[in-house]
Amino acid sequence: MITLYAITDHPTPPVPRLGEMRVVPSGDLAAVCGPVIKGEVTAEALWQHEQLVEALMQDRDVLPVRYGTCLPDDAAAERTLQDNHAEFAASLDTVRGAVELAVRVFAALDRAHVPTPAAAPMTGAEYLRARARSAAEESDATVIVHSPLARAARACTVARVNRPGELLRAAYLVDRDQTAPFAAHVKEIQEGNPQLRITCTGPWPPYSFAGS
Amino acid sequence: MSDKYLHRPSGLDSLGDPLPSIDRVLPRRLNADPENLERGLAQLVLTIVELLRQLMERQAVRRMDDGSLSDEQVERLGQTFMALSERMAELREEFGLEEEDLNLNLGPLGNLL
Repeated sequence: MITLYAITDHPTPPVPRLGEMRVVPSGDLAAVCGPVIKGEVTAEALWQHEQLVEALMQDRDVLPVRYGTCLPDDAAAERTLQDNHAEFAASLDTVRGAVELAVRVFAALDRAHVPTPAAAPMTGAEYLRARARSAAEESDATVIVHSPLARAARACTVARVNRPGELLRAAYLVDRDQTAPFAAHVKEIQEGNPQLRITCTGPWPPYSFAGS
Repeated sequence: MSDKYLHRPSGLDSLGDPLPSIDRVLPRRLNADPENLERGLAQLVLTIVELLRQLMERQAVRRMDDGSLSDEQVERLGQTFMALSERMAELREEFGLEEEDLNLNLGPLGNLL
């Protein structure tokens, strides 16, 4: 068994000497593979996977492959590249020259009300009003934060928020050289909106834009 | 990790923030392993129930906002949705599912929830 880290163009620059990574080419695509990771899924193993993909990302465009994707052997990797050539090539074109930046928005701590039923006994009306407030705040965060950032990005995805006080969880595909201006844009929005706590992280491999 | 922050709020209040990427590295798909079939099926069913619960709750909030519900109706609906939300949390726990597991990737259409 081999593990798959990323799909990239071929020819590709030499892969970093990390985690015994190697290139399995097929036509104008290549799969970056390594020995299968044995043992349990640990946070450490996930970070190692992430670091390898990030190392690859430094000097090439990649479609990152999710942790735990394994194939029987190199021949299977080649077949996967052949069978999905059109999809992979199109996805690579989508992310070419770009990185993923992640943005999360929370309500400022002194304003975060936590509408979980477990927190305190509430009446039905209180619960519904808390839900209404959260919905209104989420929609404000979309207008204030997401809309301008989406215009500055090549593409974007919004994920469901699922933490108390979380108002927006989004990923933006941004040209590599636009990372700093994008971060400056986030800072500007933050400064104008003290009622929000905005974090922006990256650059990440374009997990949210690599197709499935 | 800290070198990955392009921007974060000043002060210490970002300590509560989750690791930004680890959840995106984990495989997120329906688990069809025969040994875990029950859990996979529960995941699918609970996802659909959660979708309906959210749609109905949003509808109730909308109707409350436009004033077409009496106080008594608001109270009753609120209690119903609060109970549903608690019950969902219990069921999730029973099957070892996180809130994030209750979703389906619809390919080009994005995520269901």
